[in-house]
Amino acid sequence: MNHMIELEKKHRRNTGIMMAMLVAVIVIGAACLFVGSSNMSFGDALDALLGGGNDAQSRIIWKIRVPRVLAAIIAGAGLSVAGLVMQTTLNNAMASPSTLGVSNAAVFGANLSIIAFAGGFLSTGNNLSSFDVGANPYATSVLAFVFSSLSVLLILGLCKVRSFSPNVVVLSGMAIGSVWTAATTILQFYATDVGLSAAVVWSFGDLGRATYRTDAIMAAVVLVGVVFFVLMAWKYNALLSGEATARTMGVHVEGLRFVSLLLASVITAVCVSFLGVIGFVGVICPHVTKKLLGQDHRVTIPVSCMMGSLLLLLADTLSRSVGNGSALPVGAITSLLGAPFFIAIIFGRKEGHHGC
Amino acid sequence: MLKVEDLRFSYSKHGKPVLNGASLELKQGEVGILLGKNGSGKTTLFKNLLGINAPDSGSVTFDGEDLLKMKRRDRARRIAYVPQHIHFGDLSVFDSVLMGRVSYFGMKAGQEDYETVEKILQDMGLQEFASRSAEALSGGEKQKIAIARAMAQEPKLMVFDEPTGNLDIANEQLIIAEAKKLAREKNISILSSLHDFNQALSFGDKFFFMKDGVVKYAGGKEIFTEDIIRDIFDADVQIRSIDGRSVILNTF
Repeated sequence: MNHMIELEKKHRRNTGIMMAMLVAVIVIGAACLFVGSSNMSFGDALDALLGGGNDAQSRIIWKIRVPRVLAAIIAGAGLSVAGLVMQTTLNNAMASPSTLGVSNAAVFGANLSIIAFAGGFLSTGNNLSSFDVGANPYATSVLAFVFSSLSVLLILGLCKVRSFSPNVVVLSGMAIGSVWTAATTILQFYATDVGLSAAVVWSFGDLGRATYRTDAIMAAVVLVGVVFFVLMAWKYNALLSGEATARTMGVHVEGLRFVSLLLASVITAVCVSFLGVIGFVGVICPHVTKKLLGQDHRVTIPVSCMMGSLLLLLADTLSRSVGNGSALPVGAITSLLGAPFFIAIIFGRKEGHHGC
Repeated sequence: MLKVEDLRFSYSKHGKPVLNGASLELKQGEVGILLGKNGSGKTTLFKNLLGINAPDSGSVTFDGEDLLKMKRRDRARRIAYVPQHIHFGDLSVFDSVLMGRVSYFGMKAGQEDYETVEKILQDMGLQEFASRSAEALSGGEKQKIAIARAMAQEPKLMVFDEPTGNLDIANEQLIIAEAKKLAREKNISILSSLHDFNQALSFGDKFFFMKDGVVKYAGGKEIFTEDIIRDIFDADVQIRSIDGRSVILNTF
């Protein structure tokens, strides 16, 4: 029974890693509450966090930093796990939340809202203060979400005809995505300078747009997705043996692929609609996880989530610290921070894993 | 008993049919071997039986039950597949075999599943590999693990697609012996494609020669004649008897 001890050891190691990462997310998340561009001292921040401090300090902590840190944790986890599930179900290492053109469609929707219905929609955030100028603070997000959902439904509808063959999904996603990008370009061509800059700034991706309400909506969607993904872990593992073999083991491959892609896309659509485009998290985090811990989805699903949270927390904190008053686009930082690490991991570990 | 009747299938709507009314019968515990040229429809026939593709028409029954209308989960508990190209991701050998239980446990493996896997590993002498990564093992070992995974489905019929295609001679003999043992000891029927006539003769009880999507000849060892082989493969062979066993020789 020697191997049972070995397997038990491995199981304990994986559980240990998951616990350590959970602690890291909590600790780093808490630490990020103390970092920002307002130069608040550690003591003041702690004071405000515990209910003291003056009004301004309390507002900075509770109205700005806490929802922002929560958004980083939730959206990071969501985007990362969405990428992992897309890679597995499409059997394509390059698949990511943007594969189905979700982000492109969201950008088009937001651009339409900002450029075509300009004026009151110039605010890029979900701040209630936008009500002052007569705009619905959610208009941009709502249009972004409507278009990304339309795009997903269109692609999944098209692919149903070809029983969701992975290549068909990826290629139609790319094609439809490029249509949205082209439409956005045309829209921007006719935009005013102000509209154009507002639209471009929207697409940068900014966790500062998060409010408790948007956090709650994102959390609900991400939670539903993650619970489903965790329950399907063995079926995703079966897909690692190849689609045909998975079918012979009793897995309903098309159904699994449809529901997984739908949930992954909705997670992406919701996050992107509220926060703007945050690229690369869905590619980097799942791959780093797989390289370090292997492909068993019982492990990679929770670890990818936490890896995404960590990357987005660190990227956002960095963007707030170096932005000199206004945060740098977090999407750029995730790539700047993640890509070198990603390359180091890919080149640093010996090859031999299938499908990575 | 497996009964395949008049199976027809083509990969595209107006494409050339790959199965043109294929029929065969296999009794419980028998080893059936499919022989035929590349493209004669062997793999497609397997894919239709296994539910990877759905046939355009025809019927497949197993012990009187309609396999084509059965739920995937129920079918997986009757028929298991050992594919030609085997992948496991980078799961451990234990988890790879446990995977075969997915049609029983669905979402989370239970004690019973662990015990079944443990017993299979023990029976097949694979315990020493249990914690290793299945993907990193040799071709013959991977083949054995794929058989163990199929066994975990507790099937009544196992389908092998070219089981010895990528193996050296020692591993070939090992895998054939393993498969034969399953048929004899566990009364599992086996349906396998093979290229090597002599290997087929020593492995099979019943033989099916396929040509152009139909089973043209079916029967015992007596159907290995020079004429039938010429008809099926467009190739000349000589059949000799050595120590009472038929041996098929190439003529070039």
